[in-house]
Amino acid sequence: MKQIKKIGFWLLVLFLLILICLPGIWIFVSAFRPNPEILAKPANWIPDRWTLHQFTQMFSINGYVSVPAFKYLMNSVIISSVSTVIAITIGMMGGYAFARFNFKGKNKIFLSLMLARAVPGISLSLPLFILFAKLGIINTSFGVILVYVAMNVPFTIWLTDGFFRQIPKEMSEVARTDGCTRFQAFWNVELPLAGPGIGAAAIFAFLLSWNEYALASIITRTVHSKTLPIGMMDYLDEFTINWAGMCAIAVVMIIPALILTFIVQKHLVSGLTFGGVKG
Amino acid sequence: MAKVELKNLTKKYGDVVAVQNMDLTIPHNEFLVLVGPSGCGKSTTLRMIAGLEEISGGEIFIGDQKVNEKDPKDRNVSMVFQNYALYPHMTVEENLGFSLKIAKVNPDEIESKVQDAVNILGLEDLRKRKPSQLSGGQRQRVAMGRAIVRRPDAFLFDEPLSNLDAKLRTQMRTEIKKLHQKLKTTVIYVTHDQVEAMTLADRIIIMKDGFIEQIGSPIDVFNNPVNVFVATFIGSPPMNIIECEITKSNDQIMIKLDNDILVNCPKDKIAKLADLKKVIVGIRAEDIVPVKSFSNEQKSLWFFNKAIDLAEPLGTETQLFFKLQNKEIISRMYNPRPVDVGENINFQIETNKIHFFNYETKKSI
Repeated sequence: MKQIKKIGFWLLVLFLLILICLPGIWIFVSAFRPNPEILAKPANWIPDRWTLHQFTQMFSINGYVSVPAFKYLMNSVIISSVSTVIAITIGMMGGYAFARFNFKGKNKIFLSLMLARAVPGISLSLPLFILFAKLGIINTSFGVILVYVAMNVPFTIWLTDGFFRQIPKEMSEVARTDGCTRFQAFWNVELPLAGPGIGAAAIFAFLLSWNEYALASIITRTVHSKTLPIGMMDYLDEFTINWAGMCAIAVVMIIPALILTFIVQKHLVSGLTFGGVKG
Repeated sequence: MAKVELKNLTKKYGDVVAVQNMDLTIPHNEFLVLVGPSGCGKSTTLRMIAGLEEISGGEIFIGDQKVNEKDPKDRNVSMVFQNYALYPHMTVEENLGFSLKIAKVNPDEIESKVQDAVNILGLEDLRKRKPSQLSGGQRQRVAMGRAIVRRPDAFLFDEPLSNLDAKLRTQMRTEIKKLHQKLKTTVIYVTHDQVEAMTLADRIIIMKDGFIEQIGSPIDVFNNPVNVFVATFIGSPPMNIIECEITKSNDQIMIKLDNDILVNCPKDKIAKLADLKKVIVGIRAEDIVPVKSFSNEQKSLWFFNKAIDLAEPLGTETQLFFKLQNKEIISRMYNPRPVDVGENINFQIETNKIHFFNYETKKSI
């Protein structure tokens, strides 16, 4: 009886797992087969013929370019990395200030930062478009980076504030009596202790930028600044949709995101363990 | 190697005064203990000396330098915290050498100074460990080592033993005392534990509500408390305090210890007590001596007989509890014998060991 229960439980888990993973599996499978097979009815779960055709075309290995995926990948990498570095630098300092200092209107500023997060980004798209057009930074990486920094700073402040709060304030005090300036205490003691947390915040910020579609679709126009999610739309023609190509570019997008998600998970689970202070 | 001087030091948090007009000179090499109940301003004082707390008024000198505006790093003092505050991401030796590394001392010298501290505190086997792998006592030792390595002008200890268990606390107390004798540096030590204060201090400062109540050597504050607060704070068990009426009969001044116990006012106090209606009598537990029969010696003595409520045998002594003026009184019986609850016992007190305090001002008479 016990055995049956156990088997039943695992069958349920398997069912749910398949349900959750199905879209992902479908993307992976479809990326490696010809377009007609994707549209076959009834659905063909295991491809008859595996092919790298879409990938070789995307990355122009045989001299033929369907979609400039490599350029889009580069755009995505550059925009996401640069915006993450800037956002985490500002966010880290902001988070530290909120965690350690008392200043006038501290709570109100913090609240307004969080409220800024509550505004749906898409509602800002029109004013943003007009503003950027007038400034002449439409269709530039710089413009996209600017938007992503603005989007990520409140979030990273909120996260790093929490991580710095977990570090006892005696850490910086003892460092200061040990001969550190306030900044040295931050740099040598508090930052390394908050490191895993800041790393996790950075990865979150990166993923947010990496996956962002709505605002990028407004600001980016050409291959010059388009990111992977926007590039995917290149497979959408007036009369046809290249599903296989779309799935292939989606795979290119998913893999880095998947790796980073694993890293975040590890950091968040391990958390911070302190030995310096008796708990 | 320096004296520390506080002049008119004041700290306010908004309207709340934490430390009020504190004047104090701590000579070089003194072990000074600040003791008092929580919230008395002792930690705040220490943190102001360290530079971790801003000063609202007054001046602080370390050596001959005024340090009011100086950053903690420029004051050359080392602080040991209650929760040790070791750097969790560094090994023991990195913790010890950190301050020297920041000061850009060359690695050979760092190594030799760390080695010195390791030798002094017996940390040899622990050098490569992280703080999380150390026990409480070991962590405390590393925290002290980190303070030693810098050779500071003054050590500041903020309740360093409070997180340790009782046995370890006694052991570390001895080590701190030895360390001070070895290093010959000014130490300012904050604690709420009067036993630590008594055993460690060259001089004790008893604080309450931001004010200094009394400064003196441990024996001095124990024997001559200036007021009721100091009398009850220093010593364990606390001094017995009895509020007594003063009565006059036949030109004799009598003190009413209890409803049916009248005793003579000691001769040397007659002049001071004659005009008062009430007085606070303070007697240490060891001075209330249980006796078989009242002595006939010439000493001036108080005698009374009382039924006890409770007896607590402690091995070397038995503590006897009874009531005077409805207040619990503790007496220490050395050479203990079994005592029954309700047993009537004769007590005698040498009058020169009795403390008198003014009923209104609570100050010593």
